[in-house]
Amino acid sequence: MHKKMAFSFPDEVLEHVFSFIQSDKDRNAVSMVCKSWYEIERWCRRKVFVGNCYAVSPKMVIRRFPEFRSIELKGKPHFADFNLVPDGWGGYVSPWIEEMAGAYPWLEEIRLKRMVVTDESLELIAKSFKNFKVLVLSSCEGFSTDGLAVIAASCKNLKELDLRDCEVDDLSAHWLSHFPETYTSLVSLNISCLGSDEASFSALERLVGRCTNLKTLQLNRAVPLDKIANILRHAPQLVEFGTGTYTADVRPDVYSDLAGVFSSCKELKSLSGFWDVVPDYLPAIYPVCSKLTSLNLSYATIQSPDLIKLVSHCPNLQRLLVLDYIEDSGLEVLASSCKDLQELRVFPSDPFGAEPNVSLTEQGLVAVSLGCPKLQSVLYFCRRMSNEALVTIARNRPNFTRFRLCIIEPKTADYLTLEPLDVGFGAIVQYCKDLKRLSLSGLLTDRVFEYIGTYAKKLEMLSVAFAGDSDLGLHHVLSGCESLRKLEIRDCPFGDKALLANAAKLETMRSLWMSSCAVSFAACKLLGQKMPRLNVEVIDERGPPDSRPENCPVDKLYIYRSIAGPRFDMPPFVWTMDEDSGLRLS
Amino acid sequence: MELQLGLALPPPPLIPIETFHLNSYGNYETREALGSNALSWPLLKLGPADNDINNIHHHNSSSSSSSSGGGAGCKKRSFDEAPFFDEKRNVPKTLHLLLWTNQPNDEDDDPSNVLHENSSSAIFKNDGEGLVGWPPVKTWRKKVHHQIPNGGAENNRLPAVENGIGGRASKSTYVKVKMEGVPIARKIDLSVHHSFEGLTNTLMRMFGISDGNRKIFKLTYQDREGDWLLAEDVPWRTFIRSLKCLKLIRSRG
Repeated sequence: MHKKMAFSFPDEVLEHVFSFIQSDKDRNAVSMVCKSWYEIERWCRRKVFVGNCYAVSPKMVIRRFPEFRSIELKGKPHFADFNLVPDGWGGYVSPWIEEMAGAYPWLEEIRLKRMVVTDESLELIAKSFKNFKVLVLSSCEGFSTDGLAVIAASCKNLKELDLRDCEVDDLSAHWLSHFPETYTSLVSLNISCLGSDEASFSALERLVGRCTNLKTLQLNRAVPLDKIANILRHAPQLVEFGTGTYTADVRPDVYSDLAGVFSSCKELKSLSGFWDVVPDYLPAIYPVCSKLTSLNLSYATIQSPDLIKLVSHCPNLQRLLVLDYIEDSGLEVLASSCKDLQELRVFPSDPFGAEPNVSLTEQGLVAVSLGCPKLQSVLYFCRRMSNEALVTIARNRPNFTRFRLCIIEPKTADYLTLEPLDVGFGAIVQYCKDLKRLSLSGLLTDRVFEYIGTYAKKLEMLSVAFAGDSDLGLHHVLSGCESLRKLEIRDCPFGDKALLANAAKLETMRSLWMSSCAVSFAACKLLGQKMPRLNVEVIDERGPPDSRPENCPVDKLYIYRSIAGPRFDMPPFVWTMDEDSGLRLS
Repeated sequence: MELQLGLALPPPPLIPIETFHLNSYGNYETREALGSNALSWPLLKLGPADNDINNIHHHNSSSSSSSSGGGAGCKKRSFDEAPFFDEKRNVPKTLHLLLWTNQPNDEDDDPSNVLHENSSSAIFKNDGEGLVGWPPVKTWRKKVHHQIPNGGAENNRLPAVENGIGGRASKSTYVKVKMEGVPIARKIDLSVHHSFEGLTNTLMRMFGISDGNRKIFKLTYQDREGDWLLAEDVPWRTFIRSLKCLKLIRSRG
């Protein structure tokens, strides 16, 4: 004891040392060292991340970290992005805002993902936090431009307002004019999700003009091409820019205006937007292309030759999002011209068509994996794949950390051998030792899950659809993937045995989603009863699950660990399997 | 004993004692096959997973009585570990509510059989676009893809088609209503309406359309996918459930 005292620093010194530790994981580790470090750390934690808003209550967080300035919260399961989570499931931010409004008058940052945010919550934010600076709402819903108007009018120190992928009830474009004329602190504005029929251009231009520190501006589709030049003229310091609609009748004056302002934006590193792009106007951005590191063309419905011309002007790209119109030929050009590429996403232009509308195959991905040595993150939609291609890709790029492949037709076999793609995905997990995220598709048996359980030791998130033969598949994953935090499964024949045999594993994970699988209501009840720290939620819009036989599979199952107990805001189609429901079992 | 410990599920039993359903392992290959793969896939290292495969083959070739014996043995071990349940505060990593028996889904025990027989929970649910949520493209991204390519200009009539506007709050029963030619949108409470007739009456009053003129207007709505549809083409319930935003348009022709 005396020895320990002799070696310990004063609290203030430790607090200062801890302030250099930024990552949440490291801060958590620090707090586990001893009681005094726990105490010191919790008082100087300024940033809190909650990966599931139901895993802990706002009161608990406030008690543990009394002085934080920044919070990031996540709500709905990831599959909500694909309409698999019914409307009204939950993920409401209001209880959090209400608690924080009382506890943290100096809160500066709120970052939310997949949460329901009401105008009332936005008003409470505007009213309660005197030095509020950053509001990032990612894939959120439930609020309108009225709520944004209150934020604009009241948050005088606001630096960042980011509404990426939100569904905003667009009542009026005039919310932008609520930023006071004296307001100049804006650094980042992303309103790309807004759909106003009419935009408030004069308000926007004035805002951009007086905020001289503006670095990021992502406009929405309502902003026409001929307004872009005026806006950019006011902000030559922009680093990231998202255009609105990139279409107009071809007029030389509009074109030269545009080309002029783009070339005067010397700091531009990132471009996005390009809705309804007209290829004739694309050369206007060529002057800035050589400096671009990020290009989002995933709304640009232009054909391969135009995409190729554009991409070959951008030798320093690190990140490219593009539609499959780029085709294999375009990806080959990308592979030979963009040697710094780290992230590639190729989206389907016609995801629901039965026949391929473009010539994009596994060959494009093979080419990029060969040509781009820094590539580490891929999201790729295509219609055919082979084990041979996957093995080549894995050998070429053992540095993948994120590999998401979607072969559009479920259960598509290797088109060369007609075999399952087990070996191909097996190669990915075997070669890519640092793989953190993996999405599977195509014809897959339990064997691929054996490979994953054996090799994917750093895998944190796995998405599975239409794969596997039996419980053995899920058992391999749950018993083998040591680092797994999020697992989402749909339409797989995985059931009770694999789940119950690995019940303790679920407590080490953030969440498990299973829909249209083979887990019985009885097994859900047993899990809920025996694992008090797991919230086991059955989601079924057909009616109460106990109205069907016990061995009947549940429609959707969402399991997550929680120290807050069952939640209280469940809609009528969600049932939680707690200890009480377990008792009714016997 | 099982019941006393509260470990057992109601029928069917979790630990199968029936004969194995050989077909469920049809896709399972022997280790030799794995090793002789044309792509020279390296042999998997021997580990617990590999033992599973061996065990499966062993069970497959063994008689039903010997496999049920194996199942009973496993059951016994799971009882020994049962006291874990009392130690709720510190659940060890090895906790399982069922010991893995290397015997995946066999026929009677497999709820997926129920799944396949039960048409209401059949895997292929029709969304008008095939599978719900497949391919995994974000909803807001889908909206962009409804017009391809160079389609921007031809959608003037319904200017909001591709834009993700509306976005009804999940709890809110209010939706936005627009009328062609009227710049300002209104909001209407859906929960007080129970039929197209009632809803149309309210809208006509709201926008001051006389009874004589009401035939000129048609009620359209935007569904969750972002598509615009004629309201009265669908049943009221479907309409209410998928509705995001309303618009009154003038009939053409």
